[in-house]
Amino acid sequence: MGIELKDIKKSFGTPPTQVIRGISLNIELGEFVSFVGRSGCGKSTLLYIMSTLDEPTSGQVMIDGKEVTTLEQSELHLFRNLQMGFVFQFHHLLPELSAIENILMPAMKAKRSGERRPYAISLMEEFGLKDRLDHLPSQLSGGEQQRVAIARALVMEPKYLFADEPTGNLDSANGNGVMSLFKRVNKERRMSVIFVTHDTEFSKMATRRIEMSDGLLVS
Amino acid sequence: MLFLALRHLLSRKRQSLLTLVGILLGTAAYIAISGMMLGFQTFIIDQLINNDAHVRISAREDVITEHSLDADFFGQDALVHWLTPPAGRRDNAYILYPRAWTDRMESSPEVSAYAEQMIAQAIVSRAKVSTAARVIGVDPTKQIQVTNIQSYMTKGSFLDIGMSGNRILVGDGLLNKLGATVPETLMLSVGKGVAQSFKVVGSFHLGVKNADDTLIYGALTDIQTLNATPSRVSDIAVRLTNVEDAGSLASSWNILSQEKVQSWDQANEGIMSVFTTQDIVRNSMTISILIVAGFGIYNILSMAVNQKRREIAILRSMGYEAKDIVTLFLAQGLLLGAVGGLVGCLVGYGVCEVMARIPVANRGMGGNHMTIVFFPGIYGRGFLLAFLSAGFASFLPARAAGKLSPIEVIRGENS
Repeated sequence: MGIELKDIKKSFGTPPTQVIRGISLNIELGEFVSFVGRSGCGKSTLLYIMSTLDEPTSGQVMIDGKEVTTLEQSELHLFRNLQMGFVFQFHHLLPELSAIENILMPAMKAKRSGERRPYAISLMEEFGLKDRLDHLPSQLSGGEQQRVAIARALVMEPKYLFADEPTGNLDSANGNGVMSLFKRVNKERRMSVIFVTHDTEFSKMATRRIEMSDGLLVS
Repeated sequence: MLFLALRHLLSRKRQSLLTLVGILLGTAAYIAISGMMLGFQTFIIDQLINNDAHVRISAREDVITEHSLDADFFGQDALVHWLTPPAGRRDNAYILYPRAWTDRMESSPEVSAYAEQMIAQAIVSRAKVSTAARVIGVDPTKQIQVTNIQSYMTKGSFLDIGMSGNRILVGDGLLNKLGATVPETLMLSVGKGVAQSFKVVGSFHLGVKNADDTLIYGALTDIQTLNATPSRVSDIAVRLTNVEDAGSLASSWNILSQEKVQSWDQANEGIMSVFTTQDIVRNSMTISILIVAGFGIYNILSMAVNQKRREIAILRSMGYEAKDIVTLFLAQGLLLGAVGGLVGCLVGYGVCEVMARIPVANRGMGGNHMTIVFFPGIYGRGFLLAFLSAGFASFLPARAAGKLSPIEVIRGENS
């Protein structure tokens, strides 16, 4: 089980420019994986493909033994809702909602917000946001917002946590805090954490480091 | 998604409020204009229906043309060329077989009442003052079942004319013209025979100038005698259980008989076409207002979709489907439509209440204030118009939001 990529290729535009040029890769459940490489090497594109947000031009994406491109849209959405969490470079919180409401948004989709609320509060406590429950995103610092975004990604206790430059918009102290959280959830919850970063130091915190160059895996 | 839609709306209070005001004004305008125009129509229709008959059966005017007498003189198949073609009009227009009609009335379940009438043109005189009048001979007990004339009496009772005795009821305009009062005696002449004296036992005010200035009611037998047409009936006024049946019933009776049968709306076709024009104007105005409000919703939601691209993308990444995003924006439009429509109905009702208190001169015994209709259907239609136009206006931006590709938005953000 886990994620299996088979000869993934991805092209954009006309005439097509190949961004991913045939990547095959296995990521086991519970792994802590970082993708590094220069800008434009295709690491974010690969992350979005393996997280089902994007489709490959060719190749197969297998998650938990299922070929995701063959899944019905409703199955895919359910899978994303229950089994995956996303953290982006920009926190992307909903500005109209309080911190706790933002965290519970995936649970609302699953109609389980009541059931997940105690867990959401415990996550906030764990992430040092106990007194920020009803604060709007505009009332939180950048680091706090990113922690709320991570709590939101974790609220459904997914198997997979995908993060695209999660520290890219944070200072080093907050960046370290986020990486520590990732390490902790990977270790304590046996959650697969897969993240993309420019930062060599942060990438070294992962148990598996994958380097990319020009749409191919280097190591 | 309703919870999030509500939060979205509340987060841009001024825009939402302005859109709401647009919808509210559109709905209120529809209700106020409808209340007023339909009130006017109701007033006029009430005058037409209740002061006359739902269906009127009258003697067909028999005009003699070139070949009207061919068959009488020369047989059915004769080809006749007249040196001096006959011309003219048969005298004493009356219903040929009134008994057959009354039998039909008695057996028709649609008929609630009927009254035979003899209508004649007359000259009415008081001392040296003379004027033309329309004299209607009726059985008063039957007539008050057919029309609402009793409630338009300003002096006396309609039953005062009795079954005979040369007593009349005169329109108050006509009384003024003659300088006469109740009780007084007037001379009536129909141009044949001698003038006869009639005692004025009451007056009425229908609120229709033409009627109030010319109409006289008398007992059927008295007017038949005055007109030198004893036992003749020129018209039968019919009241139906359901006024909506008038048109179809009149048309079917018309085929069966020699007489002219007309329903109240057929007889007042001109007025009805004015009403149709009024309805078109009323609906066009309202639709224009709601289109403007709809564009407001469209613009605001389109802007919102643009501003919320990131949020849409993140929702999609959490497992929210395209239809959830469509619902999110459609719900905002529908919420605005529902609240705007509801408040618009209340404001419209208030405006109607105020208008109903505006005094208007000479509106007859129906009251001297503006007739405003408060029919619930107007409010239902007003609300529905607001709700549906808001729904239509928000559908396109909502659909566009649903079609947004989350990955393209995220990729755009990161680049």
